[in-house]
Amino acid sequence: MPTVQTVSVSDSQPQDYENEHVHAVYDEIAPHFSSTRYKPWPIIAQFLSSLPTGWVGLDSGTGNGKYLPLPADRPGSVWTIGLDRSRNLLQIARKAGEGSTIREVIWGDVLGHPWRDGAFDYAISIATIHHLSTHARRRLAVQRLLKCLSPSHGRCLIYVWAIEQDELSKRTVPTESPAENGGQDVFVPWVLKSQGQPKRKIQPETDRSPIPTSQDQEKVFNRYYHMFAKGELRTLVCEAAQGMGLQIGNQPEGASGVVGIEIVQDDWERSNYYVELRRWECS
Amino acid sequence: MVRLITHNILACHAKGCTQNNFPLQFKDASIELKEQEFNPDFLRNFLSRLEWKALVDTARELGDTSLPLEMPEMIDDEFLKNLHHVLLEIHVEEGAMICPNCGHSYPISNGIPNMLLAEHEIG
Ligand SMILES: [Zn+2]
Repeated sequence: MPTVQTVSVSDSQPQDYENEHVHAVYDEIAPHFSSTRYKPWPIIAQFLSSLPTGWVGLDSGTGNGKYLPLPADRPGSVWTIGLDRSRNLLQIARKAGEGSTIREVIWGDVLGHPWRDGAFDYAISIATIHHLSTHARRRLAVQRLLKCLSPSHGRCLIYVWAIEQDELSKRTVPTESPAENGGQDVFVPWVLKSQGQPKRKIQPETDRSPIPTSQDQEKVFNRYYHMFAKGELRTLVCEAAQGMGLQIGNQPEGASGVVGIEIVQDDWERSNYYVELRRWECS
Repeated sequence: MVRLITHNILACHAKGCTQNNFPLQFKDASIELKEQEFNPDFLRNFLSRLEWKALVDTARELGDTSLPLEMPEMIDDEFLKNLHHVLLEIHVEEGAMICPNCGHSYPISNGIPNMLLAEHEIG
């Protein structure tokens, strides 16, 4: 059972910090990580099934691309483009799903915005924003999502890790020294076992006998997470929206020149918090 | 594989580059054609999202002249099949995409476009 370890993030170089404790780790563990992440979560699958035919979307932080082939009941009815920071995961994401279909993927960062504003009908961000190490960066990541969405109808689903873990979860979470906004900064270890053939060490020409190293070497990679507190994701989304001049709430009748978002769902599921939202505009 | 469906969405996001930053121009593009299942319902509904001129110009640069300069009013099967081919079957596997405004080059390797910028370079 992996044990989660609390950390405190120094605010000075968040980018370098994430490079070391998020991006470098995913590139190293990509194939192993991918082999453990193949089952789509039901609420996300449902969200993708509910999209009208012809919509185009962004999976920001696509990882191994497991959501790119969905919806399973209407394959090809929508077109999801996967973005990730890990080149090694993208190689896997390209071939996500059954058959030989190639998926569209982009090597990029969730804080970038290499697209026309409003070009996407929907966006999902699953288990991604919690890898950003400051509140300001997490807020910016949400703003990038809001901005890529169609102002008139764009829909978005965001999942992040919760402090409140379910009993099925294999992780145990200490809750000391809460970080800003009530969340908890932690390291989650990923244990990579290198099994199989013992590696040979380079020997002088005179000694050709192989020297086996350990059969079962373990390497531990610590991934950084910000675990969200109850209510924190909704607050983050609302702050991000308001910072862009978007109202929060239902689309008002008869108003003009107003833009906003409606929170459609805000809940906890299996150790994660999620928020689904919809953009609206009164022109 | 940067396909034209994706290319029609991508734009330069460098700092200060807010105008004329779309469409990116392919350079040294090496292309592979791969068959993809035809889905007319998807295309019909998707049509209105396209930047039509950018799509037609780029397709012509890549040597495909099957699309009309103006989006037709009558959407028939022949048009949809041409559109299907241009959007979904032309894969740019290697090369680069150049911003028409600032000249930034976004390389494509193994079919994956590199849209990363250093954080201080992002607009
Ligand atoms: Zn540019």
